[in-house]
Amino acid sequence: MAIAADAAPRRRRNAKTGAIWRGIAGVVGLAVILEIVSRSGLVDPRFLPPFSEVLLRAITLWGDPVFRADVGNTLLTYLLGILISIVIAIPLGVVFGLFTPAYRAARAIIELLRPIPPVSLIPLVLLMLGAGLEMKLVVVVFAALWPIMFNTLYGVHDVDPYAKDMARSFGVSRFGVIRRIVIPSAAPFIVTGIRISSSIALIVVITVELIAGGAQGLGAFISRARASYADSLETYLSVLAATITAGLLGLLINLAIGWVERRYFGWDSTAKDGA
Amino acid sequence: MMTDTSTRALAAKAVRASREQSRWQRTLVSIAYFVIPLVVVIALWQLATTLPARPSPFFPPPLAIFENTWNLLFGSERAVQQVFAGELLQSLGRMALGYIIGAAWGVVIGTAMGLNRSARETVTPIVEFLRSIPATATLPLFIILLGGGDDMRVVFIAYGVSWFVLINTASGVGSIHKTMLDLGKVFRVSPVRRLFAIILPAALPKIFAGLRIASTAALLLAIVSEFMLATNGIGYMLIQAQGRFQLLNMWSWMIVLAIIGLLLNSLLEFIESKVLAWHRLSRAKI
Repeated sequence: MAIAADAAPRRRRNAKTGAIWRGIAGVVGLAVILEIVSRSGLVDPRFLPPFSEVLLRAITLWGDPVFRADVGNTLLTYLLGILISIVIAIPLGVVFGLFTPAYRAARAIIELLRPIPPVSLIPLVLLMLGAGLEMKLVVVVFAALWPIMFNTLYGVHDVDPYAKDMARSFGVSRFGVIRRIVIPSAAPFIVTGIRISSSIALIVVITVELIAGGAQGLGAFISRARASYADSLETYLSVLAATITAGLLGLLINLAIGWVERRYFGWDSTAKDGA
Repeated sequence: MMTDTSTRALAAKAVRASREQSRWQRTLVSIAYFVIPLVVVIALWQLATTLPARPSPFFPPPLAIFENTWNLLFGSERAVQQVFAGELLQSLGRMALGYIIGAAWGVVIGTAMGLNRSARETVTPIVEFLRSIPATATLPLFIILLGGGDDMRVVFIAYGVSWFVLINTASGVGSIHKTMLDLGKVFRVSPVRRLFAIILPAALPKIFAGLRIASTAALLLAIVSEFMLATNGIGYMLIQAQGRFQLLNMWSWMIVLAIIGLLLNSLLEFIESKVLAWHRLSRAKI
C-alpha cells in the first residue's frame, strides 16, 4: 500500500526531470548545429554568425553603458505603461461590470476604439508629444488597457450574487462589497488580463522605439545598430544579440507573471487555462 | 366550444403581439444605446474643435475627417483606383499571404508537437524563447537577411503570426483525451483520416482561438513592416502623411486601419461561428 502510494509522485517527478533533460538536450543540440553549420561554411557566416559569438556579444553588450541605458529605458516604459493601464482599466472594468447601463452606453465607443491597431497611433502621437517617454506611454497604455478592462468586467460578472447579497444583509456598505467581495473574487480574472496585457505592452514598447526616430530603448538600439553601418558583421552581431536580449526580457517577464499567477491565484480554475 | 377556441386564439394573438412589441422595444433600446453615445461624443468633439479661437492642429473636427476620408477613398476615379487597386490591395494582399503561410506552418508544427510528447519536451524551451522575442523586434533582422522588399514583409508577417497558431495548436492537440486517439487506432482508422477526422476537429476550438489572435497580430505586423523602407501600403501612406504634416490624411488613414481591424475581427468571428457551431452545441447540451 505504502509503496503504491509513493510510486505515483516518483513517476511524476521522473517525467518532470525527463522533460527538463530533453529541453536542455534540445537547446544544446540546436546551439551545436548552428555552430557547426556556421563554422563549416555550409551557410554564409555573414547571414548566420557562429552561435557562440552571438552569445558572447549578448553578454559583452551589457558592458556598454548606452545599451544598459536603453534596456533600462524599455523596462521603465513597460512598467509605467502596465501600472497606468491597471490604474485606469480596473476601475473602468468594475464600473462597467456592476452597472450594465453604463457598459451598454460605452460599448459603441469601446467597440470602435478597440480594433484600432495601436501602432497606427504612433505617427500622430509622435507629432504631438515628440519621441519621449510620454509618447511611448500613450501608445502602450492604449494597447494594454483592453485585456485588463475586459477581464475585470468578466470577473465582476462572475461574482457570486449570493455572496454580494449576504454581505449587504450583514450591513456591509456598497463600497465595502466592492472592496471585500467583488475585487477579490474577480482577482484571478484581473491577473490573467494583466498577463495578456503585459506581453502586448512589451511588444508595443519595442515597436514604438523601433519606429520613432530619436527615441530611446532597446528597440531604438536595434534600429540604430541596423542603420549605422550596413552589411558589416559587427552590426549584424549587435542586432542579433540585442534581439536575443529582447527575447530574454520577454521570457523573464512571462515567467515572473506566470509564477505570481500560480503562486497567489492558483486556486482559481481560470488561471490554469491560459489564453 | 366555439367561443372558447376564439378566446384562446385571441389570447394567443395578444401574447404574440405583446411579445413582438417588447422585442421591437428591445431592439430600439439597443440601437439607441449604440447610436446616442456615438452622436454625443462626435458632437462634443466637433464643438471642442470648432468653438475655440485657436483649435489644436492635432485634432481636426470629426466632420472634416469624415469628408477627407471619403474624398481620399472615393473622391475621384483616380483616387479609387490608386487606393483600392494600390495601397489597400498591396497591404491586404501581403497581410493575407503572410497570415496563410504563418497559420499553415503553425498548424503543421503545432500538430507535430502536440502528438509527439518527447519532441514537444525537446523543443519547448526553444519555442518558449523564440516566441518571447517581441515579433516586431525581429524586423531589422529580416531586413538585413532579406532586404527591404515585399517578400521580406510577407516572411516577417508569417513568422510573427505562426507562434500564436503554433502554441494554440500544440496545446489543443496535446490535450485531446487519449481515449479518443485510442478509439481511432482500435477501429483501424488510417493515420491520415485519424488526423483529419479526429485530431484536427478536436483541436479546432483552440486552433481558432489562435487564428483570431493571429489575425489582429497580422494587421499590426503588416502596418509596422510598412513603416520601414516601404514604397506602398496603408502604413506607408500613414507615415508619408506624418512626414508632410498632413494631419487630416493621418486621421483618415487611421480610420481606414480601424475599419479594416473591425472587419477582420468580424470576419473571423463569423467563420468561427459557422465552423464551430457543432462545438458550441455539444457544449450547450452538457
